[in-house]
Amino acid sequence: MTDNPTPGNTAPSQAMQQYQARIEQLESKLSSFETSLGNQRVAPDWKTNAERYGLLIAWVLLILALGAFKPQQMFAWNSYATMFGSNAMIVALTLALLIPLTTGDFDLSVASVMGLSSMIIAVLNVKLGMAIPGAIVLAILAGCLVGAINAFFILYFGIHSLIVTLGTGYFINGVILWISDSNTIAGVSMGLIKAVILTRFFGIPVGFYYALLLTGIIWYVFQYTSLGRRLLFVGRGREVARLSGVNVTRMRVGAMVSAGAIAAIAGVLYTGMRGTADPSSALAFLLPAFAAAFLGSTTIYPGRFNAPGAFVAVFFLSTGIMGLNFLGVDSFVQNLFYGGGLVIAVSISQLIRGRKPMD
Amino acid sequence: MTNKMTTTLSTLAAGTALCLTGVASAGIEDAKKLIEQYSQLPTFEAPGPAFDAKACMADKKMFVIPLTNANPFNAAISQGFVDAAEVVGFELRDWETQMDPAGWIQGVNTAVAEKFDLIDMQGGLPPEFMVPQITEARAAGLKVTATHNYDATTQSIPDFLDSAANTDYVTVGKIIAAWAIAKTEGKVNALVLGPDEITPTAPLRDAIMGYLKDNCPDCQSKYINVPVNDWATKTQPAVQNALLADPSINYVLPVYDSLSQFIVPAIQIAGSSAKIVSYNGTPFVLDMMRDGDIVEMNVGESLGWVGMAGTDANMRLLCGLEPVTKLNTPAYIFTDENVATAGNPATFNDGYGDVHIEGFKALWGIK
Repeated sequence: MTDNPTPGNTAPSQAMQQYQARIEQLESKLSSFETSLGNQRVAPDWKTNAERYGLLIAWVLLILALGAFKPQQMFAWNSYATMFGSNAMIVALTLALLIPLTTGDFDLSVASVMGLSSMIIAVLNVKLGMAIPGAIVLAILAGCLVGAINAFFILYFGIHSLIVTLGTGYFINGVILWISDSNTIAGVSMGLIKAVILTRFFGIPVGFYYALLLTGIIWYVFQYTSLGRRLLFVGRGREVARLSGVNVTRMRVGAMVSAGAIAAIAGVLYTGMRGTADPSSALAFLLPAFAAAFLGSTTIYPGRFNAPGAFVAVFFLSTGIMGLNFLGVDSFVQNLFYGGGLVIAVSISQLIRGRKPMD
Repeated sequence: MTNKMTTTLSTLAAGTALCLTGVASAGIEDAKKLIEQYSQLPTFEAPGPAFDAKACMADKKMFVIPLTNANPFNAAISQGFVDAAEVVGFELRDWETQMDPAGWIQGVNTAVAEKFDLIDMQGGLPPEFMVPQITEARAAGLKVTATHNYDATTQSIPDFLDSAANTDYVTVGKIIAAWAIAKTEGKVNALVLGPDEITPTAPLRDAIMGYLKDNCPDCQSKYINVPVNDWATKTQPAVQNALLADPSINYVLPVYDSLSQFIVPAIQIAGSSAKIVSYNGTPFVLDMMRDGDIVEMNVGESLGWVGMAGTDANMRLLCGLEPVTKLNTPAYIFTDENVATAGNPATFNDGYGDVHIEGFKALWGIK
């Protein structure tokens, strides 16, 4: 820990020194916080571990419980390989949500961006004959553009992100209907389908590994780079972060643009999975993604939106749904599972945060 | 004595087996005949006697409210209505809606305020949602009807409507089941899917499963309800998990073919060789049939024809003629062999021929 800097308003170099000192102070606070966490790792108490690995344990218990009724399906590798492969786009969409959530913004337009990206690829590839790589690049650029537009309205006009992204999401839905002429477009190049689901490693469609890679990258950025730390810091207290010299506006713009880009990647995976794009179905994935993001924030790094937690949460929820399908339970249970999962996850997050009122 | 009993039992068992085999082969033959019948290009059968449409519609106008204009299915039916009105020469308004009850209600109110003579709720708009508005419109002297919503044989027209032009969903369901029976020589293990909240689902579902049960002793089927709002999130996991739980499933039969876009990846990821057979003739599904191997057969109907047949039924209602409550639009089977006739990309109207245009013109007394 460094000493508190002496307040003063003399020469610019002195002010610079004070500024540096404050930054160092904050860095050291963060590192002491990390050390304390690290110490806990060395001498773990059961409560911390239960929090960190609770969802993983619950996942295993869920498999065992469902496996007691349907052992042939629940204990078969093929079931999990299939499930892993078919949820890649939900993982990507959850990761897209997670970045603005970390900086304290909600992005309700991510599912629309996923649909837009999917439709752009289909229109460019099927209707205009463009090759898949070019179509993917344009789809991701469109996602970035939506993120930048969201950021502009949120930051320039000072509007709450919920309102802006609700509006832009609805607007994008109209754009999708417009560019598709309200049609579902089939016949996307087989190359994309092969690159997402028809190629397998260990029986798992390759789309899963893209999602895993994306999770790894986001986990690394948040855990081991100063950029990740700053994003986290902005989310914990914008004013404090600003006063500490973090460029809050730039961080929030970056988070919204990244969300747009990653949601567009989710759209690429969605198109690759089906070989078709339709104007509306992507919107249905918003709630599952929110449920997974919040459920993920209760595990691995509890109390913080985190990529590995979100990854585990997506597959925890999917395992539950798979097991219920095997048991022949009616499909409305899926709504109970996702809706209930979201509320329970947020409640657990709140308990971890000491029931501090949410902004 | 024991020998005698054994012989009797053996004879009985053989007789039963023979009888069952007979039932099975008869079922397969019937299925093949049905397929043959609906593989022929549609022919025009007049729904009623000819009449002078121009004269009777001279001072009348019609108001059509589709379920949503954002759905190409509804847009194609509406276009059929518009074309028919142009042929006869009367005023027809195709109201723009986006699957919103507020838009539907506004449509009814507009039709009443602008003194239209008839309101038609077409292509799945549930009239049950609008009973107060329908009652008000009828009190104001308008006729209210629905086209392509109810089944022609198993569902009755509600009292709060003046009439309805209905579709023969039962035959469509039978064709789907018959196809699977014929292709597997009576060894179907089918997964049937549909959204229970949509009016035609029940007759389609019951016809598919009922036909399998009645005509195929070795066939089995299982049904999963997938509400429309949950198609994207539930269809794929439900089908995938059903295929994992029972890898012997050889046919997936969604009652509406738009579900195919979520079923194809489920079949691919689960590594199954199941085929999709369905109903609607939706263009992108016909494109999927042309470009891939998973969509095997689709029962379609010309939606332009549906629009003209709906107009015919409505004109008869307005002109006080014998009512027509069943659309004369025939079902038609698309497979790899004839899917090219539907166009590339496919459309809702190509591939069925155009006998209906001349047929209706002649019926309406138009040269």
